[in-house]
Amino acid sequence: MSHEEHGHEYVPEIATTRDGKQFEVQGWQGDIYGGKLGFWLFMLTEIMMFGAMFLVLTYYYSLHPQDFIDASSHLNRLLGGTNTVVLLVSALTMGLGLLKMRAGDVKGAKLMIYATIILAFIFLGIKAVEWREEYVHGVFLGLDALQSGNEHSRPFGQIIFYGMYFTMTGLHGFHIIIGIGLMVWLLKRINSGKVTTEHHILHFNIALYWDLVHLIWVFVFPYYYMIGAGHGH
Amino acid sequence: MDINTYKAQRANYYKVLGGLLLLTAITFIQPHMFLEHYTFAAQLSIGAIKAWLIVMYYMHMKGETLIGWTVVFAMSLVTFFFIVVMLDVEHFQYEDGSHITSQPHIEVDYGHHTASHEE
Repeated sequence: MSHEEHGHEYVPEIATTRDGKQFEVQGWQGDIYGGKLGFWLFMLTEIMMFGAMFLVLTYYYSLHPQDFIDASSHLNRLLGGTNTVVLLVSALTMGLGLLKMRAGDVKGAKLMIYATIILAFIFLGIKAVEWREEYVHGVFLGLDALQSGNEHSRPFGQIIFYGMYFTMTGLHGFHIIIGIGLMVWLLKRINSGKVTTEHHILHFNIALYWDLVHLIWVFVFPYYYMIGAGHGH
Repeated sequence: MDINTYKAQRANYYKVLGGLLLLTAITFIQPHMFLEHYTFAAQLSIGAIKAWLIVMYYMHMKGETLIGWTVVFAMSLVTFFFIVVMLDVEHFQYEDGSHITSQPHIEVDYGHHTASHEE
């Protein structure tokens, strides 16, 4: 049954490349520019979510600077810094993977995605060690130190700081887990020939997502780990 | 993508990595070496430079005029919204009924006596 029988004429969707060439879109993979723009709009919603949290953090820092500095000085900067470097290198491997895919080296691209997945697991492992260390020291969501009105209660500013710390690093970790899932899906699509050198918008957008995860950490790290540096501990 | 473009872009990736590693090293030494009393501002400034490098080179925003301006426009709206929220919250903060940072001061009327306590 044709479209004309329903009174609808088939109108092809035409996309334009950056150098002005026009072509008919064959499925969503064909419109790389539209795919990129759409994904950027999605990423802006993520920036709004994390941005609101940073706003709250900045506001309470302005009210309780000493509590924030004291709490920050107790965080493990060595583990936090290691995770910063791990994410930094993972952003490179992800970017190189995309570059290799665009250059036609599919095997090299897959290797780079595997390397990124391994680095993501290392990040999560370090984060788990860090959270465990904090739990052992009695600082964790739900424990007395972060509840007000008992003998172990930390000062109000510290309760806010640690509450936000666990919330934001937890949410960031959740994004890392989603990223791992997306990379596994990407590998599956590459293996089945659905993502290729010519049709790599999915690879492009997942690389963008990974850069966003890295970008958020670029601010999470100084906000939590570094503002108390140089104040003992 | 031809081999020369590939090599040039790969070299760019490594240069950006070098820059980001250098800035990370500065992040660690800053609280002990310079601007010790302005750590918060210094750290966020370094973070902003790192973010710029990531967005421009790793996220391929360099040369993307339309998407670039879309992002700038959207970020401007969000920043405006955040400024309004901060001004609003700051105003509310100093009103008697604020529950944001301190426990509310409650007046309880027991008939003849009026007791005042922190809840």
